[in-house]
Amino acid sequence: MSGILAQFDSLGATRKAIESLREAGHSDLEVFAPFPTPELEEALGIISSPIRRWALIGGITGFATAVALTGLTALAYPLVTQGKPILSWPAYFIIIFEMTILFTGLFGFLGVLHHMKKPGRLSPQYRTSFSVDRFGVYVLAAAGAEQSSVETLVRDAGAVEVESGV
Amino acid sequence: MATAEIDVPQQGLPSLADANRDISRPISTPYKRYWLLLGICAALIAAAGVAWTIQIRDGMGRAGMNNPVNWGVYIVTFVFWVGIAHSGTLISAVLYLVRSGWRTTINRTAEAMTIFAVMTAGLFPLIHLGRVWYFYYLVPYPSTRLLWPNFRSPLVWDMFAIGTYFTISLVFWYLGLIPDLAVLRDRFTGIKKKLYGAFSLGWQGTVKDWSHYRRLYLYLAGIATPLVLSVHSVVSWDFAMGVVPGWHSTIFAPYFVAGAIFSGVAMVITITIPLRWAFGLDRYITEYHFDNMAKLLLFTSLIVGYAYGMEYFLAWFSSDPIEMESFRWRASGFYAGPFWIMVFCNVVVPASLWFKRTRNSIKALFVISVFVNIGMWYERFVIIVTSLAHEFDPSAWRVYTPSLVEMTIMVGSFAWFFFWILLFAKTLPVISIVEVKEHLAHEHEHGGH
Repeated sequence: MSGILAQFDSLGATRKAIESLREAGHSDLEVFAPFPTPELEEALGIISSPIRRWALIGGITGFATAVALTGLTALAYPLVTQGKPILSWPAYFIIIFEMTILFTGLFGFLGVLHHMKKPGRLSPQYRTSFSVDRFGVYVLAAAGAEQSSVETLVRDAGAVEVESGV
Repeated sequence: MATAEIDVPQQGLPSLADANRDISRPISTPYKRYWLLLGICAALIAAAGVAWTIQIRDGMGRAGMNNPVNWGVYIVTFVFWVGIAHSGTLISAVLYLVRSGWRTTINRTAEAMTIFAVMTAGLFPLIHLGRVWYFYYLVPYPSTRLLWPNFRSPLVWDMFAIGTYFTISLVFWYLGLIPDLAVLRDRFTGIKKKLYGAFSLGWQGTVKDWSHYRRLYLYLAGIATPLVLSVHSVVSWDFAMGVVPGWHSTIFAPYFVAGAIFSGVAMVITITIPLRWAFGLDRYITEYHFDNMAKLLLFTSLIVGYAYGMEYFLAWFSSDPIEMESFRWRASGFYAGPFWIMVFCNVVVPASLWFKRTRNSIKALFVISVFVNIGMWYERFVIIVTSLAHEFDPSAWRVYTPSLVEMTIMVGSFAWFFFWILLFAKTLPVISIVEVKEHLAHEHEHGGH
């Protein structure tokens, strides 16, 4: 099934197009933006990102790894140094703190790559103007009546360029 | 701090396409002076390499260090560069969390500076080791002798703190770069397109991608903030955990963190002013940004000045004759010169920033920032060397003067740092294109003219 790719030159028009398309029952939209747009996320109904789960799991993993690393190595070779107990948690906490942060960041980054399916190829709907100042809305629509109704919708919203059959 | 009336001027507001063009221009424009500067840096790095080779061949005696001053210029320069690394993350993360709009045009350069400064700092423990090939002793790995690092030791904390800081800063920087690399991919052709394309990982800026990006950016800012405070605290504990008079103090962590931010902001100013001039980025980095950086510089200068005073107060308040003698000697003994250079550069010179005229003069700001860089190097010298040279037992008092080998390596570290900064300025956008666009789009939409 092919679709319609509409380009917009303002955030307001893009938002209007998304809203009217969603009202008309087109929920599977691919929207391109040249910069982060909380407004468009809201219009598309994206409330939260699964990245928070990745970060949390990363943090817990880092914490547990560091507890194991400092504690178990101290027990594996129990040598009293500096007159401190074998398990000197206040000192080990610094290692635990740093590794919690390290794993949170790395897991978060892996999560972003995973959910963006990157590294990967550009989709055939991508246009280089989307990295300049244009917004793009891609709608899957059957050729014929459905495509022409979508075209009318996006043109009414203020599309500056419309390609069909993409 | 930021009020609506001193924002980016409305007239002559660049368009979104202008931002793409202006910020990526230096990448495709050849500059003769650029290659000259790069050559000078490479020559100085080579000289430092020769000095290091001599030290490895002949032994640590080539460095001026001896008992009791076993930490000399290498550790001084290490702490200096770790300090420089701090304001990058401060500007990126802390100012992002508190929604200070003025960070937008300087955060990319500040973050790059962070990464290169950590790379520079990281060389010094290795150079200081003498037998550099044993550096992996600090890394926890299952050795055949069942020996593990001593996790109670501040030096091991330091390795974890700086390793984490480098990795997280790199991820933070790279994440912010991905959309900009996509801009460059779309602008260029041939080999450049391929390279930028590969590093942009196929970024296409769908709103769903942006939502993941924004979320991780926020999290990284959130975790980088406590991280940045922890790193220089840990560096300060390399000293404060020892019983050396002049080191063994509870104020060391906040004192070092404030000093790090102070020196880091100064280095951001020192780098941004020539970059802005060379690449014609006046429309993006304005006096408004410099005014804010100057205020941050003044604020941290006051904290540092307060800490200098507080060290003396605590020495007197402790009634400890050794502590008192250590601080008396610091200001009036063999190292009185470095001490007063430190006070002059870090407290007296930045006081001129109380005046709006100084803050708005780019030239004055550049000169002041260079003074602060010098002063902060001397601060670390004063803390480390004077404390070790004048410990408890008068019969063990010795002074230390840096050797030629040490000074060559120290100068080489500056060349190494600026070498990377130069490479960065010519290959990557020195301002975040995407953040500038985000800002401009809102200005265009709400400004209406």
